[in-house]
Amino acid sequence: MAVVVGLSALGAGLSGCDDPSGESGFAGLAESGGQAEASAFLQPKPGTRLVFPDDWGPHPQHRIEWWYFTANLTTPEGRPLGVQWTQFRQALQPRPAAKAPPSPATWPMDSAWMAHGAISFNGDHWFEEKVARGDIGHAGASADPFRVWLDDWELAPISESDAWHLQVQGDNWDYDLTLSNTGNITAHGDGGFSAKSSSGEGSMYFSLAHLNVTGTVTVAGRTQAVSGKGWFDREWSSQFLKAGQQGWDWFGLHLEDGQKLMAFRLREGDSTFSSGSWVNADGDVESLQEDDLTLSPTAWKESARGRVPVVWQLRVSGRGVDLRVKASPGEHWNAGLVSYWESPVAVSGSHDGKGYMELTGYADQAP
Amino acid sequence: MLIRAFLSHYQRHPFQLAALVLMIVLATMLWTGVTVLTDQARSSLAQNEETVAARAHIVRTDSQPVGVEDFVRLRKTGVCVAPWLEVKRPAPEGQVIGVDPMSMACFGRSAPIQDAASLDGTPFMDIGDALRVSQEGYDSQLYLIAPRDDIELPQGYALRAFSLAPPTGELADSFLLNLDALSLLVLLITGLLIRSVYRLGLVQREASFELLYRFGVLPRQIRQLLVLELVVLTAVGVPPGLWLGASLAEALGTGFGQALGSLFDLTLYAESFGSLPWRAAVVMVALVLTVCLLEWVFPQPRQPAMVSAYARLGGGALLLAGALGVVLATELVWVFAGTALVFAGVGLLTPPLLAAVEERRSVRSGATASVADPLRRWRARELSVMFRQLALPVVALQFSIAAVLAVHALVTTFESTFEQWLGQRLAADFYIEVPQGGDSATAARRLNALEGLGTWHLVAHGKAQVRPEEAGTGADPLTADLMALTPITDLVSDWALLSSAERSWRELASGAVMVNEQLARRHDVEVGSPLELTIAGTRMRTNVVGIYADYGRPVAEVLLHADTLPAAFTPRSESFSVNKGELSRDVIHDRLADTWGAPDLQVRDNASIRELASQIFDQTFLLTRAISALTLVLAAVALLIMIWVFFTTRVWYFRLLGVWGLQGHQVRRQLRLLSVRLTLTITAAALPLGIWLTWVLVNRINPLAFGWSLPMDLYPVFWLELGLMAGAAGLLVAHLMRRQLERDANGERP
Repeated sequence: MAVVVGLSALGAGLSGCDDPSGESGFAGLAESGGQAEASAFLQPKPGTRLVFPDDWGPHPQHRIEWWYFTANLTTPEGRPLGVQWTQFRQALQPRPAAKAPPSPATWPMDSAWMAHGAISFNGDHWFEEKVARGDIGHAGASADPFRVWLDDWELAPISESDAWHLQVQGDNWDYDLTLSNTGNITAHGDGGFSAKSSSGEGSMYFSLAHLNVTGTVTVAGRTQAVSGKGWFDREWSSQFLKAGQQGWDWFGLHLEDGQKLMAFRLREGDSTFSSGSWVNADGDVESLQEDDLTLSPTAWKESARGRVPVVWQLRVSGRGVDLRVKASPGEHWNAGLVSYWESPVAVSGSHDGKGYMELTGYADQAP
Repeated sequence: MLIRAFLSHYQRHPFQLAALVLMIVLATMLWTGVTVLTDQARSSLAQNEETVAARAHIVRTDSQPVGVEDFVRLRKTGVCVAPWLEVKRPAPEGQVIGVDPMSMACFGRSAPIQDAASLDGTPFMDIGDALRVSQEGYDSQLYLIAPRDDIELPQGYALRAFSLAPPTGELADSFLLNLDALSLLVLLITGLLIRSVYRLGLVQREASFELLYRFGVLPRQIRQLLVLELVVLTAVGVPPGLWLGASLAEALGTGFGQALGSLFDLTLYAESFGSLPWRAAVVMVALVLTVCLLEWVFPQPRQPAMVSAYARLGGGALLLAGALGVVLATELVWVFAGTALVFAGVGLLTPPLLAAVEERRSVRSGATASVADPLRRWRARELSVMFRQLALPVVALQFSIAAVLAVHALVTTFESTFEQWLGQRLAADFYIEVPQGGDSATAARRLNALEGLGTWHLVAHGKAQVRPEEAGTGADPLTADLMALTPITDLVSDWALLSSAERSWRELASGAVMVNEQLARRHDVEVGSPLELTIAGTRMRTNVVGIYADYGRPVAEVLLHADTLPAAFTPRSESFSVNKGELSRDVIHDRLADTWGAPDLQVRDNASIRELASQIFDQTFLLTRAISALTLVLAAVALLIMIWVFFTTRVWYFRLLGVWGLQGHQVRRQLRLLSVRLTLTITAAALPLGIWLTWVLVNRINPLAFGWSLPMDLYPVFWLELGLMAGAAGLLVAHLMRRQLERDANGERP
């Protein structure tokens, strides 16, 4: 699932252009039957299917999409190190598939891009944000060959190989990683349509949950070789958070027996909407519905930007899965246009493991 | 019962209570307003600075124009660069600048614009919109700007200096320093005003306190009640003052600014006043409690110490010491200390001096019996008594008028200096940078051959080592910026030099040099001083024939004729400043572009640069005018209230005029003469202090803080305006007094 942080703010705020989405909430879904359906943007629905290789690339007919990667890495001394990279696209105008993109020479403002890069290590968190207007050329994505870039940050295929190369440079930190996929594409929900509310809003969502990651990370003035497991998400939609939904809690977990768990819940007042996917070691996917999943915070942290749940209990009924998921020590705020929490987690309980946790809608709340 | 007896004075004199509360309200309003406006001016200046700050722009080394593909190429190699599209749309709409706020994110705080709200077309707008404006038939020029001039670039690109206007950082810093100094003065004035009104009430209540004491109320209890009363008065007076001050500042800074904006096509960088400035509230509460409670720590006798002989002696000593300190100080802190001493000295000297002058007039009137006018004598004696008894408010008013004078002079001086300096630096019609590899000598020859072309000059920039010969050969040379000119034309010969030798520009053409004020002040260089210059390894001796003002930068600069340069000198950059004369811009552009083989030669229009810079800085001057207006209005209101309060204490004496046989209209005339003379005398006494304060700000504080001084200009018309205002306040007081005399037939004997 991953974040769609403040792209509406990015589009409407920075550009001064009209955002056709209006004020329909934070990076989420519009109300069922609301303006999004009436707008010219294309909206995924149950039954919409994934199409490859096109779905690796951008979807100009949809309002919002993102490419997301996290990795739980280990240094030569055995210390855990977390890495995140996300690139977002926010359309301000829908563009039909048949229509050519505007000429860069006109400095168009039909879409905006934003990229986030972060490292979590030894209780510290480094984060950087980049933004760009779309259709100019210094930010974009292509399906075949698959490439995503913004300025000098880039995820691109390594020639004559199935692996990808991810290169990100921050202020006094950087990482240079090779990503090798060893599993199948995990289509979430109904063949890739992932419901985000009980009233039927949703997004197209698939993952690569079996990534081997190697490379180097430079942080705190030191370059280290790293290796570990990675998780890659692709998601797009045209509906934002439903009015009233305050944010979400998302988990992508690598369990030690080779199984994977993706689970999220969207918060709306006292109620929540949960969903997820269970991926067994062979790559078979089982979609988890609300009744199958329990996600409960069990401990909170008073942080600099708000009170956040840092320890969780995740239960999957019928599988005997009862996990305790705990965030790494330290504060893991991605403090960009909109602040959200992005931290590596350690998993214990019925299964051991590691993974990543993303929490939105908690920043600057009174403890 | 006790509280009722304690407050009985205010029951008999409700106006005094109202005046005290009103003074707290007004003082809070003044301080809050000045604080808010000063903060706003600071923020506005900071934004202006960012907007016109010097940056760099990136050019292609093959002299081709930069385009969107260059922007993309540079961004993809990690270079922080942003597009900047200047569209030369003529007035009244004026030039617009198209920017891409997203690519400016990497500029951080040095980004020319900080939020989308600035993209309103004055002058910035989104680059896509600006491009559409240019397609209406206006010339446009795309630049790729970078935040610094030391970034690494891929092959095929080079950095060039880029700015909207000459750098103004030091001018802005100086302005803010002076504004801070004036804010402190405003705080002092508000303290004096409150203390004077409070003390006036206390003196009148002494009799009732004595009565309470006789009835068994302990002095300690009376003091406790007074503290309680003060806390209540502060709680009642400060919040509305705070609100009024913030509202007034908002009205002046926004409403007033917007009104002017619609008239003069200016807009303010107005900040939101979402919340009351609590910092100002804390300062005011502390000030009110401190100045009023000081009365117990240092109780004043009925006859104010300020009019005693010791006070005169002490005042004279303080004035002398302070003035010497200000003149001789070599550090800023001593200038401030000296200024404080001068104010203290003036505060101690003014009341007794004014009283003595009136006393002498009174004696002189009596001595010349044949022409004696007993009423003139009465007025002089009455004024003499007032100056003695009302020493504190008289000084407060004197200080506030002096501050108004200084604010006015400061704002006007800064404004005219900025305009004049901008005009001097952007005298020519066009500014054309010689492209990399371009031959400036050939271009100069071809410009000379252009019939109908106006005056022009070529400037070569570089570095030089400078050593004043008086510093001795052992002294370390100083690295200065070098500006080499040729030919000398009226583009520079009309410069207003700070000091110069006879025929200085001719001397310059013969090998002499001019230096900027920074170099002159910091290294004691004067006109006629010999200098040793080392340029490109060649040492030469020359002398200084002129010193010019240079407000923008802290660095030393040397100006010489290009013929003086040694053959080994290689300029860092070269540029032509050209007056078009009878030719069009295109003819000049084409001639130079052809000379250098650079079809996309950039010709910067100095008039539009000047217009843009003036437009941006006018926003700040608008705010400072608002500060001046606020101070003036509140000083006038304070003046009115104070004199009215003081006159009420003299009602009994004024009634005696009737007892002596004067008709009602004659009494009223005497009141008018008395009050107008009082207000005019205080205004006249404030003039020298205001002028002196202005001199300290521009001639002492600036040189010590920044190495250069501002011209000291006086504005007698404004003095006249102040005098008229004081006269009007005097007439108004006389009118109010007349009503009070009529209403209160049995004026209480003090």
